[in-house]
Amino acid sequence: MSQVFKILVTGPFAAGKTSMIQSVSQTKVISTDVMTSGEESDVKSSTTVAMDFGTYQLPEGDVRLLLFGTPGQSRFRFMTNILKGEVDVVAFVIDAEAFETHAAAGVELRALLRDLRVPAVIAVNRCDDPVLARRLARSLGALDGEAAVPCQLIDPDSGREVVVEILLTLLASMESTNIEVA
Amino acid sequence: MEKVKAVVDGSPSFLDAFVSSPSIPDGWTTSAESSTAVSPTPMSMVDELDELAQQVEGVRGAILASVDGFGLACSTSMADEPAHPAMLAAAVGLAQQLAAIGGGNSLHQLVVDHDAGLLLVWPIGTQRVLALLASTRVDQRRLRAVVQSHASTFAGAVA
Repeated sequence: MSQVFKILVTGPFAAGKTSMIQSVSQTKVISTDVMTSGEESDVKSSTTVAMDFGTYQLPEGDVRLLLFGTPGQSRFRFMTNILKGEVDVVAFVIDAEAFETHAAAGVELRALLRDLRVPAVIAVNRCDDPVLARRLARSLGALDGEAAVPCQLIDPDSGREVVVEILLTLLASMESTNIEVA
Repeated sequence: MEKVKAVVDGSPSFLDAFVSSPSIPDGWTTSAESSTAVSPTPMSMVDELDELAQQVEGVRGAILASVDGFGLACSTSMADEPAHPAMLAAAVGLAQQLAAIGGGNSLHQLVVDHDAGLLLVWPIGTQRVLALLASTRVDQRRLRAVVQSHASTFAGAVA
């Protein structure tokens, strides 16, 4: 019997949330992408309006992750509020090069973690430097114990590195609360 | 208890033929705002929604939004609430995925049947979403026909 964990994949608009889920999901991704309009169409051609959903299961089959991706724009915040219930780990995705999103992302991350009180993994997209990823994560308000993963989320291997950190974070969280791993 | 019903089948939507304009500014367009607009389009879109709401007995208001959650116009009877178009876009996005459960490929209509009436939502072409608030006694067949008669205008709406 496998243990199932809920992962909230969130972060600013165009950070790489949908790409991450698409790159790692082992089942067909449920997505609600539509064409962007206005100024957002200058950034990318499509955007998530409700949620993305994908899954990842360890080869042994004893741990299964359910990946719930949120829209990134503040006008869709109600979807994050719907999806964040009973979350085990927050995977917060940030685009290292989208500097203009970092301040608001920090506010969002801190508020989310204060609210949920669960561990987080910071996926620093479009970044190859672990030191830079760590520095950026700390600037957002991530704690020292929270993983910061440099990644290129259009690359499935890179997405899987984020998943590995999620799994390690889950393991550490279970050990700290004395929950027996199946 | 509120109910949500997605009306789907495998056939193309009767509104699929209408394709939207590419540019959608942020925020609502209301009657008051449109009085200072350079283009007469926003005013006529509010008028169009008002007219639609008046054409069928039991319709209380109308909202036109882009599929990515921006408000384009609302009838004068509706409150100016920026969250509404985002919620409509999310609901339609999810309903289109829910259609697949029933083997459908194309969402025709979304119905939220609640204790204060109905919220009826239609995708208009590929880029617009139209929502109407109505009483539970509204003639839905007539309403559908009236919406269809306005669809080409709504599909091309810009604020």
